[in-house]
Amino acid sequence: MFDSLSPAEIEALRLSLKVAAISVLASLPLGFGLAWLLARFEFPGKALLDALIHLPLVLPPVVIGYFLLVLFGRRGPIGAWLEETFGLVFAFRWTGAALACALMGLPLMVRAIRQSLESIDRRLESAAATLGAGRWAMLASITIPLCLPGILTGMLLSFARSLGEFGATITFVSNIPGETQTLPLAIYTFTQVPGGDTQAMRLCILSVILSLAALVLSEALVRRANRRIVGDAH
Amino acid sequence: MRSVLFAFLPALLALFAPCSHAQLVFAAASLKNALDGVAALSPARPTISYGASSALARQIENGAPALVFISADLDWMDYLERRKLIREGTRRELLGNKLVLIAPAGSKVKTDIGPGFPLAKLLGGGRLATADPNSVPAGKYTRAALEKFGVWDSVAGKLAPTENVRAALLLVARGEAPLGTVYTTDAAVEPKVRIVAVFPDGAHPAIVYPAALTASAPASGPAADFLAFIASPAARRVFEKYGFTPLH
Amino acid sequence: MRIEIDLEKTLGAFTLKAAFSGDTAIIALFGRSGCGKSSILNLVAGLLRPQRGRIVIGERVLFDSASGIDVPAEKRRIGYVFQDGLLLPHLSVRQNLLYGRFFTPPAERWADVDRIVELLDLAPLLERRPHRLSGGEKQRVAIGRALLASPRLLLMDEPLASLDASRRGEILFYVERLRDEVGVPILYVSHEIGEVVRLAGHLVLLSDGAVAASGPVHELMSRIELRHLIGRYEGGAVIEAKVVAQDLGNGLARLAFSGGELLVPDVDALIGETLRVRVRARDVSIALSEPRDVSLLNCFRCRISEIGAEPGASVDVRVDIAGTPLLARITRHSAERLHLAPGKEVWAMVKAVSLDRHSVGYS
Repeated sequence: MFDSLSPAEIEALRLSLKVAAISVLASLPLGFGLAWLLARFEFPGKALLDALIHLPLVLPPVVIGYFLLVLFGRRGPIGAWLEETFGLVFAFRWTGAALACALMGLPLMVRAIRQSLESIDRRLESAAATLGAGRWAMLASITIPLCLPGILTGMLLSFARSLGEFGATITFVSNIPGETQTLPLAIYTFTQVPGGDTQAMRLCILSVILSLAALVLSEALVRRANRRIVGDAH
Repeated sequence: MRSVLFAFLPALLALFAPCSHAQLVFAAASLKNALDGVAALSPARPTISYGASSALARQIENGAPALVFISADLDWMDYLERRKLIREGTRRELLGNKLVLIAPAGSKVKTDIGPGFPLAKLLGGGRLATADPNSVPAGKYTRAALEKFGVWDSVAGKLAPTENVRAALLLVARGEAPLGTVYTTDAAVEPKVRIVAVFPDGAHPAIVYPAALTASAPASGPAADFLAFIASPAARRVFEKYGFTPLH
Repeated sequence: MRIEIDLEKTLGAFTLKAAFSGDTAIIALFGRSGCGKSSILNLVAGLLRPQRGRIVIGERVLFDSASGIDVPAEKRRIGYVFQDGLLLPHLSVRQNLLYGRFFTPPAERWADVDRIVELLDLAPLLERRPHRLSGGEKQRVAIGRALLASPRLLLMDEPLASLDASRRGEILFYVERLRDEVGVPILYVSHEIGEVVRLAGHLVLLSDGAVAASGPVHELMSRIELRHLIGRYEGGAVIEAKVVAQDLGNGLARLAFSGGELLVPDVDALIGETLRVRVRARDVSIALSEPRDVSLLNCFRCRISEIGAEPGASVDVRVDIAGTPLLARITRHSAERLHLAPGKEVWAMVKAVSLDRHSVGYS
């Protein structure tokens, strides 16, 4: 069963890793910004914003995929503008798959980072201010290092979600081998073809291994980050 | 709080009540509008689940409790029959259909479909929206036809393969794909697309929709009645209205 | 350097309205818990904004509601030593110490790293993490960190409060060193009058969000009407005296002041050094004639200048020993029995052993 993977399988694997990695990195600034907004400020409409961010968690992925198609497709208002202004195209491209993954993973990322931000002792920031740290210096030298475990957790959760993203991806950018056929889509395709069970199973096991590896790695990273902050109490 | 709970209790109980799916029907996605119309006329109230014939067949294979299966091609019905998942003697060929090339309603593209027709050129930088050519009937018919006309290799890398034929229809309707292949019956229900050309008969295996009882369905009862009903004159009239070709 | 503070701020149900100024090395803010002392520090540091007021340090106006000046906290160059240190947990001691220095323009960096490290004995701690430090060590690092940002003013919020008794003396020693060797003015908050007397030159007494009195320490300490704010147990006059002799044989030192000499046991000071001695009112007795054949070593002829008017069994008597005030707390009954009245000449007596190490500090 485990002789070397076929090119199609390797392609799906490579694409999944690329899409997941890019989606996490690209959504990190927005994820941190939203978590910051929700953790530090009170403003009218805060509850609404919070609910909107959590929509991808509760709506069927196909619905999210449909919205992405309507907004970010080549004819969509945002998609057309992006193509015109930056030459950035999402339709039928791996960038679209990454966008779908980023959106599905965003609520998980925002939650994790927000929790971490809320647990920071604000008085440490007061202390830093008296020592001369301006807003950006404080962010870089105090806030981010102290909420690093939350950031790492958020990134991991979003990455894992991206590895498993199916509904929004296939609805938005369809199932193009080498371009949008990530592991879940490849597994699905194999299950639809009579005799594709073996390959489907292989890819399933590969997915599990990938997710486990990501989990273990991030656990180690989070533990190290915690140790740096609190000490070897753990 | 308590009054709220009491209000919801009947609803909760109803959820757990034994389901009176008189029938759970699995039907190809392209049948959506027509079969809904037929079911509205039938005495029983069937629950119909639409999807790609490939996906539905695999679900039945894995134990889905469907009682009636209507596929968009013969291959998937054969697939289930080989695995003894179809009740013997209940299979019949129900409907025929045509495959068409569509474009968004505002598009001015023109072509005939014949050997060597310039499909790749017409696509330009865009993609051909079609159901997955490896498994979904509409995609398989498309591939057969394009291979026959020697055009497949030039467009194999320019496809947007979708989960089922209606998803391909959506992509063209939204203007995201300049061209797509769907059944004529799909094009008929979507005002945002126009038919560019019809795939000639013989370009692909005849499009036949077989219907049958699954092995888990009783030989007589509401399921069998429904199977009979969809072949009745009243049902045929509805199918014709939507563009299907009722078969004998 | 002169410091001028005038603040008004409403925090929930509590209104703070305080104004004071001073120019000694340490200005102490003293009052009971909840009287607003820490809030004043936060307002001065710029962590809170007053509704109205004025903050002037030296020639720099940091806040003036009338002219709209409000320098942000990170630009005020005011060091702050918090009650529980607030060391940055993800940095080493060395990194903590140098944190503020990083943000100080090089031209204004008067604090010398090696000198401060030596002053506070921080060398063995440099590579440790904050969670591995004891309470006293944390406070020393906190002080060092604030100093190394080269502040123009240092705020200290009850720095000894979270330490146990043995540590307090240690940190007190370092703060005295700070005062005497570094030269940064300090605004020191405390609810322990002993610390205040030892360290401060100027005292601001706070009560319920307002300044009850503001002036030199020894002057405020000898005012009867302020005793209830200072505390029944701890209040008493402060005498500045110079060590003139050390009798090492019996452990007594002779301290000279305007009214004579104080004999104090176990004083670890050199001849010539000026000390502050707080004489608790409850340790002072009054006699109508010079005591004979008693164990008391410190007896002074003096004149009664004032007798307190509060009701109760005890009464405060203020006497004047050739220019130095002293407070005595005796029963009203005795005061009446001895017919004590302002202007009468009496003798004030202090037990030498009551002048313990908590009462004596460097000036």
